[in-house]
Amino acid sequence: MDILTTGLITHLESKQCSSQFEQGVGGEYYLHVPYKEIGEAIGWLATRNDLALIDIWAILNPNKSSVNLFYAFELRYPSPILIITVKTETSQAPSIWGQFPVAIYFERRLNDLFGMEFTGSPDTRRLLLHEIYPADFHPMLESNPRSLTVPPSPGMTSEYAFKIFEGEGIYQVPVGPVHAGVIEPGHFRFSVMGETIFNLEARLGYKHRGLNKLAEGKSVDEGVKLAETVSGDESAANACCFSMAVEKITGAELPRRAWELRTILLEMERIYSHLGDLAGMLVDIAYPVGASPFFILREEMLRWNAAFTGSRFLKGAIKPGGVNRDIDHQALQDFKRYLDNFCRQIESALSTVNEAAGVIDRFDTTGIVLPMLIAPLSLSGPVARASGYDGDTRQLHPYSIYNELKYKVPVKTTGDVLARFKLKSEEIFSSVNLIRDLIANCSSGPVFLDFHPKSGQALAMIEAPRGRNLHWLKLKNGNIERWEVLTASFCNWLAIEHAVIGNIIPDFPVINKSFNLSYAGNDL
Amino acid sequence: MFKIINNIIRKKLSPDLKTQTDEFENLGLELKEHISMIFGRSLAIRELDSGSDNSVEIEINNLTTPHYDIGRFGVSFVASPRHADVILITGAVTLNMQNAVLKTYDAMPRPSWVIAVGDDACNGGLLSESYAVLGGADKILPVTFKIPGDPPTPLEIMRGLVAFMKNIRQQKA
Repeated sequence: MDILTTGLITHLESKQCSSQFEQGVGGEYYLHVPYKEIGEAIGWLATRNDLALIDIWAILNPNKSSVNLFYAFELRYPSPILIITVKTETSQAPSIWGQFPVAIYFERRLNDLFGMEFTGSPDTRRLLLHEIYPADFHPMLESNPRSLTVPPSPGMTSEYAFKIFEGEGIYQVPVGPVHAGVIEPGHFRFSVMGETIFNLEARLGYKHRGLNKLAEGKSVDEGVKLAETVSGDESAANACCFSMAVEKITGAELPRRAWELRTILLEMERIYSHLGDLAGMLVDIAYPVGASPFFILREEMLRWNAAFTGSRFLKGAIKPGGVNRDIDHQALQDFKRYLDNFCRQIESALSTVNEAAGVIDRFDTTGIVLPMLIAPLSLSGPVARASGYDGDTRQLHPYSIYNELKYKVPVKTTGDVLARFKLKSEEIFSSVNLIRDLIANCSSGPVFLDFHPKSGQALAMIEAPRGRNLHWLKLKNGNIERWEVLTASFCNWLAIEHAVIGNIIPDFPVINKSFNLSYAGNDL
Repeated sequence: MFKIINNIIRKKLSPDLKTQTDEFENLGLELKEHISMIFGRSLAIRELDSGSDNSVEIEINNLTTPHYDIGRFGVSFVASPRHADVILITGAVTLNMQNAVLKTYDAMPRPSWVIAVGDDACNGGLLSESYAVLGGADKILPVTFKIPGDPPTPLEIMRGLVAFMKNIRQQKA
């Protein structure tokens, strides 16, 4: 047991509260706490300043009369995740937003999906289910949610209550859900004074596809397909994270080459994803000449993806037990040689950008994410690392063979668009070096282990290109009983609302692109 | 036609990308010819995401990047449905997007066409059983052509666009 868990148990004992400790098969710690003592436990955790609430999820118990809530906490240094579980029979629980502000969003999500009421929360508006859904519809409680009947021609029965900002000279600019570019849908409500953004409220959920519910009862092989569709450009990360949860539950030890290939694919995903972001940021400041080299390199990376796995987005490549197919030794060597050329190209592209005063002028001091937001909003990934946070799931919760590998996790401190641009470009080099090392020391052998998944539950986390993705899986007889997935985008979206304040609307696209969050991965 | 050929042969200021495939170039020229016959000079496309997993958007976007540069063949992606001849719709149409999808379509000038891109938009794909989606673009819009794939590659989208053009040309004839 670690200091955090021991400390909490000691504290609860001193208050004559009971608790029950359990070590999870995924390396996570569970602490079962009676319902009436949840406040005491959360209160003690809130006194620590090195702790973030990373997710709250729920599971409906088989008799359908009670719900188990799971509160997952992460320390800022390598240490097991602590999950407080509590059983509620009343569909009610106290809101913990006062101690952990990000909880509001987790609670709103649970309110939609499970009909959970969190008492004392200042914001109980629906998050994922919009006005078209009946108010009493909670998909995770329904045995047959497909029978839901919605009005054939939807008239808006009610309107979403955006936060109101009033005052002399303040006006509203609504944007979306359908945007001008070829991007995903979401609504942004700006409150603006002159040109300066006074407040932004992002309303998402337009892409809510009901993935959590859809997964129930499915086999793990079907489940991994759903994991891939969480966010198309994070297919490998989510498929790998989902598979890791299955493997932990079963206790399967994969052959080494499976991990090596998985790691290569995961880093390739990071590279192509970041290349798209760098290009996108430059497009959004009207500098297509600078963007083109990054687009060219990304297309080449997508073609390598296809050459290795048959899919430009690495779909179908990773599945529980290993990888779908081996990658030919010669192909890997060719790729390694290509990467030398790749590095030269990207260095020259970056030097063009760095010498362009217009670019620096637009990026510098634009869209700053303050370091003090990182823990309360549970930010992760490049967004947090560009603001001074040195956390990376690959190091905090090592998976695959990352703790045997040497790689740099760049950190920037200014937290602006420029910092995120530089950070992502450095991460590309870091990933390239990782892949080169992996290819140079590649082992041989099988790439897949056949096994029958057992029953049980486990937590798995992964550093996707956008940050920390979390999958919690409960299997029963090899089928999915409950699948919780939370992508880094969910929390990082909250940072955008803060980052744009004081900037001007014309800078919003580039700020948004510097985060490049997934709408699909948020709305699920 | 002469202009196009001349443009291909003449020496350029910037070097050609070697990665452009003959098939894509030929499809592009064919597409351009269809566009000239049906739409005059250009085809304006509005992309509409009704709940995809975002990989289809990336592939559609890729059509405008240097390897493909579909703008050469008279295709442009426009910012408003009011400027569009064709909607490329992706995603299985979530209930939350239903209203926005209808409004977008209604805002188009007529005649207009709808092309479903990706498995989700074609028939709901993996999501057909979900409570949160209608299960395909044709549940809500008059879809004239479908380009399946998870996601379809830029080349496949291009093939689809050419096939779609052939279809409407035959109907016109």
